[in-house]
Amino acid sequence: MAQQPTSPKSETPTEKPAPILVQMSIFAVILFVSSLISPLFPASLPVPTPVIGIVILYTLLATHILKLHHVEKFADFMISLIAFLFVPAGVQLAANLDILKTQGIQITIVVLIATIVMLVLVSYTAVGLIWLRQHLFHRQHTVEQESTQSTN
Amino acid sequence: MIILAENPELAMWGKWLGDGLGTNADGSTAGNAIFGIFLSLVVYLIGQWLFKISKGFFLFQPLFVGMVLGIIVLVILAKTFGTSVETFYRSAYKPGGDIIFWFLNPATIAFAVPLYRRNDIVKKFWLEIILALIIGLSLSLLVIYEAAKLIGLDTVGIASMLPQAATTAIAMPIANAIGGIGAVTATACILNSVIIYALGDWLVKFFRIDKDPIGAGLGLGTAGHTVGSAKAVQLGSIQGSMASIAVVIISIVVDLLVPPFASLVGLR
Repeated sequence: MAQQPTSPKSETPTEKPAPILVQMSIFAVILFVSSLISPLFPASLPVPTPVIGIVILYTLLATHILKLHHVEKFADFMISLIAFLFVPAGVQLAANLDILKTQGIQITIVVLIATIVMLVLVSYTAVGLIWLRQHLFHRQHTVEQESTQSTN
Repeated sequence: MIILAENPELAMWGKWLGDGLGTNADGSTAGNAIFGIFLSLVVYLIGQWLFKISKGFFLFQPLFVGMVLGIIVLVILAKTFGTSVETFYRSAYKPGGDIIFWFLNPATIAFAVPLYRRNDIVKKFWLEIILALIIGLSLSLLVIYEAAKLIGLDTVGIASMLPQAATTAIAMPIANAIGGIGAVTATACILNSVIIYALGDWLVKFFRIDKDPIGAGLGLGTAGHTVGSAKAVQLGSIQGSMASIAVVIISIVVDLLVPPFASLVGLR
C-alpha cells in the first residue's frame, strides 16, 4: 500500500482511518464474541447477538481500547446501507401472507397506532423528564447549544 | 438445488437457476443465492429511482417500494410456476435474502459509533434516558393494548402486538411466550421500520418532537428500531446517539416489562 505523506505537526491530529479489512475484522471479532455470549442468557430473557455487540463495541470505545478511526468508516457505511438490508425482512412477509389475509387490516392499523404512540410517548416523556431536571433541580441544561455545534 | 428437488413443480425454475445463473464456490448449484440478492437489489434501486423522480413522495420510500415490489414479483413468479408463494419464497428467494439479512448483525453493532460520538449527552442524561424509555414504553403498552382490543384483535393478536418495540430477535420469542404468534410480531417490527422510514420526518415535525434532539432520538429508536436510528443519524448527532441507545435499552426493557404486563391484563 502506498504511504500517504502526512504532515508531522498538524494542529488537529486527525488519525488515518484503519484499513477497511482491519475494520471489518474488528466487527467480525465482536460479532463472534457476542454470538458466544448470547446463548448464556436464559430463554425467558433473550438478548440477541447484535444487542450484545453494540454494548461490547460501545464499551471498547468508551474505555479507549478502540479509537473511533478504527471502526468509524465501516460503521458509517453499514448504517448508510440499513434500509437496503431490511428489504429481505420485508419480502419475508410473502411467507406470511395468510396471516395478513385474515387479520391484515386490523394488524396494520394497530401497528400504525403503536408506532406513532411509541414515538410520541417516549419523546414527550424524555422532554418532560429533562424539563423536570431543569426546573426542579436547577441544573445546567445545555443541549440546545451542543446540538447547534454538532450539526456543523 | 436441494429444496427444489423436493418440489418437482419447481424443477424448471431450478434448472434455469442452476444452469443459467452461476454456481457456488464448490461448483454446486444448491441453494443458489443469486436470485434473492439480485431481486433485492433491483427492487430497492427501483425504489430509489421512484423516490428521486417523484421528488421524495413518502409512499415511494425505497424500502417500502422494494418490499412491495419484491412480494409482487414472488407472487407472480409463484403463480407462473404453479406453486404456493411460501414454497417459492423459501426455495428461490430465501437463500439470497438470508445473506443480505445476515449483514443486519454488523449493521446493528455499527450503531455503537453514533452512540459513542455523543457520549457527553449519554453520561449527562443517562438517568432521564432510562426512565423515559421505561415510562414511555409502559404508557405505550397500555395504549397499544386498548387500541388492539378496540379494533377487535383476539387475545393472540393482542399478545403479538405488545413486544413490537424490541428488535425482532427479542420480540419474537417474547410474543410466543405470552401467547402470541412470533411471525405476526416480526411483521409488526418490519412495519414499524417501514412506517418510520416513510413518515418519520413528517411525524417528528407534526408532533413538534424536532425541538428536543434527545426526545426525538429516543422516540425514533423506539418506534423505528435500527431504521429509525438511521433516520435519527440523518437528523443530527445527538438524535443518532439517542436512537442508538434507545434500540439497546428498549429491547431489554421489553424483555423485563412485557411478560409481567401481559399477565397483569390477563393475556396468560
